[in-house]
Amino acid sequence: MTGITHTTALWYASRATGVVTLLLLTAVLLLGVLVNRQGRLPGLPSFAVTGLHRNVSLLAVAFLAIHVITAIVDPYVTIGLAAAVLPFVSAYKPFWLGLGAISLDLIAALILTSLARARISRRAWRGIHWVAYAAWPLAVVHSLGSSTDARSGPVLAVLAGCVLAIAVALSWRLSRAAREIPRAARAAATLSRMPARKADL
Amino acid sequence: MITDSLTLPWPAQEASAPASLPRLLPAAGTVPVDLRAHLARYGALRYAGGKGRIVAEVAAAGLTGRGGAAFPVARKLTAAAEARPAPLVAGNGAEGEPASSKDRSLLWISPHLVLDGLQLAAEAAGTGTAVLYVRRNQRLHGRLAQAIAERAAAGIDAVRVDVVSAPDRFLAGEESALVSRLTGKPALPAYRSVRGLPRLGPGRPALVQNVETLAHLALIARYGAAWFRIAGTEAEPGSMLATLYLPDGRTSVTEVPLGTGLADLLGLDPAAAGPGVDSVPSAGGPVRAVLVGGYHGAWLSAAEAARLPLANAALRPLGTAVGAGVVAALPADRCGLAETARVARYLALESAGQCGPCFNGLPRIAAALDHLAGPHPDQRARADLERWAGLVTGRGACHHPDGSVRFIRSALRVFAAEAGLHERGRCTGTDPRPFLPVPAGRPARDADWS
Repeated sequence: MTGITHTTALWYASRATGVVTLLLLTAVLLLGVLVNRQGRLPGLPSFAVTGLHRNVSLLAVAFLAIHVITAIVDPYVTIGLAAAVLPFVSAYKPFWLGLGAISLDLIAALILTSLARARISRRAWRGIHWVAYAAWPLAVVHSLGSSTDARSGPVLAVLAGCVLAIAVALSWRLSRAAREIPRAARAAATLSRMPARKADL
Repeated sequence: MITDSLTLPWPAQEASAPASLPRLLPAAGTVPVDLRAHLARYGALRYAGGKGRIVAEVAAAGLTGRGGAAFPVARKLTAAAEARPAPLVAGNGAEGEPASSKDRSLLWISPHLVLDGLQLAAEAAGTGTAVLYVRRNQRLHGRLAQAIAERAAAGIDAVRVDVVSAPDRFLAGEESALVSRLTGKPALPAYRSVRGLPRLGPGRPALVQNVETLAHLALIARYGAAWFRIAGTEAEPGSMLATLYLPDGRTSVTEVPLGTGLADLLGLDPAAAGPGVDSVPSAGGPVRAVLVGGYHGAWLSAAEAARLPLANAALRPLGTAVGAGVVAALPADRCGLAETARVARYLALESAGQCGPCFNGLPRIAAALDHLAGPHPDQRARADLERWAGLVTGRGACHHPDGSVRFIRSALRVFAAEAGLHERGRCTGTDPRPFLPVPAGRPARDADWS
């Protein structure tokens, strides 16, 4: 079976959107790390980084939705609606699809709590946002395990690139956190960087 | 001995309402008032009998919060009465403002008025828990413990009161900082997304009132709204405690009716306060400018101040407010820019370090002001200050950047001529001694907020 036919179109769509979703999720995580450590992108004010993080994550949700729906609708393998959200109940590759299902659930929690952020406490929202660090690796492992494309070739290269980018971002985040000035001393630190005034009158 | 504590050993008849000021402090002297003297002067506190009555009386009196924000007390009490579960009631005596000493004076001299008010607020809120949040000071805490013990022995209180110490920080009395402290965390201001009463946690609302507000509440419950309105103006009724700084260096805490002329408070000669005059004579020497509302308030030129009353209706259009009642007359021989720079540096260092615009912006502004206070400042310094001030305003979780910038901007306006002199290498300040009080210690560790 080669080429895109009416029977394989959905299967290809699912695989393609899967790869795009992973790329977008990687971008979301990178931007999230940047927002968390008050990092900047060249030419963008810091609030624009926050806006980009938000908008790319909504775009990722759209691609994720197409990825999941096409996989369910596709008649080539039978993946039920339940298997998309409940881990390890799929008849087809239960373990690898299960990881994808967990990742999907975690992402749903992230998106829903962020949309309802004004109505929940900042603390609860922050706590739930930590699961981003679980959702992303689960998605990567799900890609590696469930896709035959990702074992070699360009898709594997894309995956490797994503993992490398996240590794760099995380080490940057940890080094930034280690160098953090305690809250109470921040204003004094800024003041000490200011040039001293000339002699008194 | 048990009967002694039930039959009070002092006259139980109704004491008459104080006909004139002061209402909160003794007519003479600063000797702490014990329970016996307190009851002899004001009479026993008749409890309002249910939630509604005291709220209606406070609404009729038009009492506003005396901590600085002047929020209508009746609205807070109504929200507290409707809150489920019943809120914790907190008397706020943190008084982080270094220029203000009215709250600690009141707590030291008339603690029973504050404690009466705390009981009334607890009754209005229908709660069984009350806290007094007071700046860390051993003598003051000892005095309050003694007053609470006196009341316990007399059996006059329905609600138990705990005293919690506030750290010696400018923002410790900020409402969300108080709430944070009461939950056992450092007294740092926080974002507040929820409207209405602040919360100690989910389902734990709190009613926070300044201690002076509580003292007024205790008198309104005794003598009624009409009596309260004898002092003050129609729009801003009642009296308030003011901390005054006179140009000869004397300071005092005085109770004044709202709407009193600043000229009367400071002994300024309004006849000599024509427009364009750069100092106004007063009983304590010539005055260059007047700071109203403390370090989150604003400077007024002495000529402006001499024509204004201590009332928000008149002060708000000039960018300031009565606030917590700090009124300081800067003598004509001091440099207003040097004073402002010293205070600005203090305000910058008191940033809680939570919001970037505050902990980055305020030190930058303070350094620029320090530069402006020196000889031959850069010609662009004033424009830079205005620009940075605009970038900081409205960008903090609390109002610290806004209040600090308001104070600094007012200095740029009132001392504009002085800044021009500095640019030419001159200064009218001949006395280099600091005038406004600025505490020496500054936070270095997060523990300094606990």
